Amino acid sequence: MSGSEPSADRLDYVEWADRLRDGELLGQECAECGHTTAAPKAACAQCGSRTIATVTLPTTGTVHSETTIAVAPEGFEGEYQVAVVRLGDAKILGRIDDTVDIGDRVSFTDVVTADDHPAPVFTPV
Amino acid sequence: MARASIVGAGMTKFGVHERPLPDLFADAAFDAFDDSGIEPPEIEALYFGNAMGGMTENDTHLAPTLASHIGCTGVPAQRFEDACATSANAFKHAVEAVESGRHDVVLAGGVERCTPETGLGTGAMTKVFVSAAHRQYEQPAGLTFPGVFALLTKRHMHEYGTTEEHLAEVAVKNHYNGTLNPRAHFGRETTVEKVLDSPIVADPFHLMDCCPFSDGASAVVVASEEAAESFENPVDVAGVGHATDVVPLADKDALPATQAARDAASQAYDQAGTTADAIDFAEIHDCFTGAEVMATEALGLFEDGAGGPAAAAGRTALDGDVPVNPSGGLKAKGHPLGATGTAQLVELTEQLRGEAGERQLDDPERAVAHNLGGDAATTVVTVMEARQ
Repeated sequence: MSGSEPSADRLDYVEWADRLRDGELLGQECAECGHTTAAPKAACAQCGSRTIATVTLPTTGTVHSETTIAVAPEGFEGEYQVAVVRLGDAKILGRIDDTVDIGDRVSFTDVVTADDHPAPVFTPV
Repeated sequence: MARASIVGAGMTKFGVHERPLPDLFADAAFDAFDDSGIEPPEIEALYFGNAMGGMTENDTHLAPTLASHIGCTGVPAQRFEDACATSANAFKHAVEAVESGRHDVVLAGGVERCTPETGLGTGAMTKVFVSAAHRQYEQPAGLTFPGVFALLTKRHMHEYGTTEEHLAEVAVKNHYNGTLNPRAHFGRETTVEKVLDSPIVADPFHLMDCCPFSDGASAVVVASEEAAESFENPVDVAGVGHATDVVPLADKDALPATQAARDAASQAYDQAGTTADAIDFAEIHDCFTGAEVMATEALGLFEDGAGGPAAAAGRTALDGDVPVNPSGGLKAKGHPLGATGTAQLVELTEQLRGEAGERQLDDPERAVAHNLGGDAATTVVTVMEARQ
């Protein structure tokens, strides 16, 4: 047994999605290595530690990469822009309302839902 | 020292096939059997790849079905699924099986149908493909696979100045190579202008930056180092690296680095006792033009950021100093997911034997194959060497 204790309040997907629908972006910060993610996991993807704290991510960040999808999967209507957005130390994939370029500042403003799964929507600020 | 040898290689033409999965796979398997001079009962195990058959054709548990269909009834047969890196992973396990002494001669290969012959149109197949992205954190945003590689490539363009013209040059080169490959899905040349004029799929990718939905099968007969001596024309497997990167893609440290490819290449080169400088040509997973550029850098063939200009300068052409995708690659040869990995090894085998016909390179001695699956998560890199 390592010195660290597993987090008693491990953030799972259902909680993450519920809070996202309520307008809050939750992530995780590893107590061992400090790695921060916006896509919560059962253990740290960098070091494997199970001691990871739930954190509230900033709602404003910077576009790290983006693309406009013209040919959409069944169930979606193209075209729309998606982006990897840097929020503090974490990055997250979301939908863009309006259009952005890499480096633009964006704010978390809404969610889109597909098959009952939410995704964050960001708007230029 | 070889880890294993390929003693027979076969594949169908990639393109549109009415034939169902068992018949398609049999064509490739028999091609490989005939190439090696082996008969089905001599095969000791089947390592088989199919990525999406459950979703595309309601066809699962295929390994024993196909073993039965090709006269290998009763052998241990198993299916591998790693998105587009499916049959390279089947091959890796075949190599390990003969290397460990468990088997002497095994068959590794894969089959897939992705064209409307499955009954699925573009939107439905796009949805099937994106099942290889993260269900909770990527699919709800409406991501697609062109979108995955567009996100990686746009960041590469931002950091290194790679241009849409550089990307288009990759498509032009691979289409030209495809004209020399009778098994390629596309056998016509294109131009930078035509690529840039084709409709956008996910920017920066135009339709002509994307590989086609293809049907097809491929297979290789893998023998232990000792067993290979009894075959006429073995080609040696010197190294196989296999690595994965973090999923979802937003969690990757550096999007354009495709870290799993760097890790897998490092393993494969170390096993082979070689370096990127000693590689004579490469078959690379160019599902999108940007993927080829990033892979040439990850494999160490060019410095980071130099992949686009190198392609534009002709360095990756058949007559360049580092030919990439002499087969036409996924872009022109086609991409039936589960068949793609071992099809790359078919090309390596034929080139290293000097049997590649019109697209034959000048006496290559050492080559690398790079097969990637999911959102740049699974990567298998194989180094093969001609027998001296």
